[in-house]
Amino acid sequence: MDSAQYAELFLTESREHVSAINHALLDLERGDGARGTDAIGAIFRSVHTIKGMSATMGYAPVAALAHELETLLDMMRRGTRTADATVMELLFTSADLLEHAIEGAVQGVPVSPEVGVMTARLKAEGKAGGDQRSSVAIQMPVDTGEWSAPAPDGAGLLVRVRLVEGTPLKGVRAFLVVQAARKLGEVAAVSPPLDELQADKFNHDFALRLHSDRSQGEVTTALRNAGDVAEVRIGEDADVATPAHTMEFSVAELAQGVAPVPAKAATVVPQQRSVRIDLRRLDTLMNLIGELVITRGRLNSLAATSEDPALVETVAQASRLVADLQDEIMTSRMVPVWQVFDRFPRLVRDAARSLDKQVEFTVEGKDVELDRSMLEEVGDPIVHLLRNAVDHGLETPQERTSKGKPATGRLLLSATRDRSAVAIRVEDDGRGIDRERVLRRARESGLVDVGKLELSDEELVRLIARAGFSTAERVTDLSGRGVGVDAVYSRVRALGGSVDIRSVKDEGTTVTLRLPLTLAIVRSLLARIGGETYALAMTHVRETVEFRPALLRTVQGREVLMLRDEVLPIVRLRTLVEFDGAPPRGLEQAIIVELSERRAALVVDALIGQQEIVVKQFDAVRDARTLFGGATILGDGAPALIIDVSSIL
Amino acid sequence: MSHTVLICDDAIFMRTMVGDILQQAGFEIVGEAETGVQAVEKYKQLRPDLVTMDIVMPDMGGIDAVREITKFDPGARVLMCSAMGQQALVVEAIQAGAKDFVVKPFQPSRVLEAVQRVLG
Repeated sequence: MDSAQYAELFLTESREHVSAINHALLDLERGDGARGTDAIGAIFRSVHTIKGMSATMGYAPVAALAHELETLLDMMRRGTRTADATVMELLFTSADLLEHAIEGAVQGVPVSPEVGVMTARLKAEGKAGGDQRSSVAIQMPVDTGEWSAPAPDGAGLLVRVRLVEGTPLKGVRAFLVVQAARKLGEVAAVSPPLDELQADKFNHDFALRLHSDRSQGEVTTALRNAGDVAEVRIGEDADVATPAHTMEFSVAELAQGVAPVPAKAATVVPQQRSVRIDLRRLDTLMNLIGELVITRGRLNSLAATSEDPALVETVAQASRLVADLQDEIMTSRMVPVWQVFDRFPRLVRDAARSLDKQVEFTVEGKDVELDRSMLEEVGDPIVHLLRNAVDHGLETPQERTSKGKPATGRLLLSATRDRSAVAIRVEDDGRGIDRERVLRRARESGLVDVGKLELSDEELVRLIARAGFSTAERVTDLSGRGVGVDAVYSRVRALGGSVDIRSVKDEGTTVTLRLPLTLAIVRSLLARIGGETYALAMTHVRETVEFRPALLRTVQGREVLMLRDEVLPIVRLRTLVEFDGAPPRGLEQAIIVELSERRAALVVDALIGQQEIVVKQFDAVRDARTLFGGATILGDGAPALIIDVSSIL
Repeated sequence: MSHTVLICDDAIFMRTMVGDILQQAGFEIVGEAETGVQAVEKYKQLRPDLVTMDIVMPDMGGIDAVREITKFDPGARVLMCSAMGQQALVVEAIQAGAKDFVVKPFQPSRVLEAVQRVLG
């Protein structure tokens, strides 16, 4: 395994630990008693692991910060420091800086000076708290390279041992040497005494008196085998002991020892047979299967013109196998939403604190799975919704109390799976969207008739989803201005999903994002305008009908399609794509598209058929009015644009 | 025949690193454990020639695991993996039956020396 792979392992695992630290910090802030103790233990373990890994990787700033943080946590475990507001803030900030230092170390960029400042601050905290681990000044003999330990009094063979310079945990090594001596006979005395040896309070040499019937050679060999022994000297030597020179110094490594970590209650860890796969491999597999799906399309159209039944049969079989393979690969890309949701409790807590609001945040459906890239894409919109809810939705405790609501607001983030979609819901019990204000703004901007007095939920969504439409009175650094629901809306739409908002004054707001399970491969209907092919996701297609003149009506001066008892607005794709070629000969086709409650008849020259297409996202689909949601390559190698149905409704 | 090893550490990173060092030196990694409880279970099941044991682990720490393992097999050969600042814990582990220790950050040569001492 090369160092890059180690770095990747380090990063993955450290991130998990930082996330665990944040969760435990939130627990610690909320909890008390036993729960608090558990939380400190958990944070300690994670910080300790990060320290060990980063030291191994040679990431000194990370290791140093982790070490000092560990010191503070150790004092908390021993009860010499309490989790007061100052300490909590210190811990939260340290967790952020630790994360920053980890990311920086792996990317090889210099860490922010804040990391060093915090490390020094924690160190000072450790001193202030009377920490015994890293800051006790001890009278230490200076290593003169000579035999400095006084010979212990009493009978027995005098054995002097000098450890190798720089022996790690030399106190423990000395202990091992003494243990080895005990196997040879009786150790009558040790100098310096054993407890001082164990605490590293000695130079590199020590002495003991041994009663043993072994030869000097055997003793020497046995003690040397205890490891890190530079020299063993046997026999009286009155001239060796020199007066010890002393100086005062302090060393972080001079730990007096750390209290044992309380083990968590035993839980059964389910054993999974699994291997870790590089995410890039999964992406490559997905791209390959995408290409394969395209090739299958081409193969199918070739086979359709063939009269060889064996070929047709084989192509059909290959098709099924490709479909199975596609399913398997899609499944392997599914990850539980907690991988992204995990950082939200911390985010909500910080947002609530900065705004002096009290929020009880709940997350449900953490185990619901979504395609990895979809999940990554949807993270930002969710952050946006959560911040909006805390900033604009939930009221201050005073405001809530005066309305007769509990002072603490509720905020729920949930994920549920239904058929081929995942619904992510952000629900608050705050003041609700101010319809009056939205309506006023809409009237002012000429978006609705001046006489309009009420807004349905549907209309509300459409209005606030418009780019730049915002009713925020204040600009806060949480929500900013002009990037409101519209940003979320266009993002989610670009992912092939939909947004739904329900809001009741003073009861709260619920925003639901419905997302397809994957964004890569979509079953689509292909249609033609002139020589160009366009694709529409089948999820939005209800049916197709021939566009016969008999179905046409005119309502309030507008052309509509009368289908059974339904009146559908007509949208001509020709006009939308500004195609000015000759009109089609023969009958046009109408595709009945729908999204939530909205429907329309999309008129096209001709239908080509259904096909699985591989969606290639455009880099930036920021403008909510963009007609296209992406592009694809068809079976015959020709490109086709994908129509975003929500843009025409 | 190569010696068999059970690696106990809650960090995959550390298990991988120790595993690589030992594998390159010709050892056979027969199992990995991420908690003390697992370490004891796997020891009983696999009876490896050598165990590398982290001190800080969830679900029973490394020291208690050493105690359990030595109770089951007094001849068990356990090498403690410790960090700076864990003197007292390492001493405790040795009293519990561990044979030697290495200190993080690991240097392959030091790890292998310690392993030789434990096995020798």
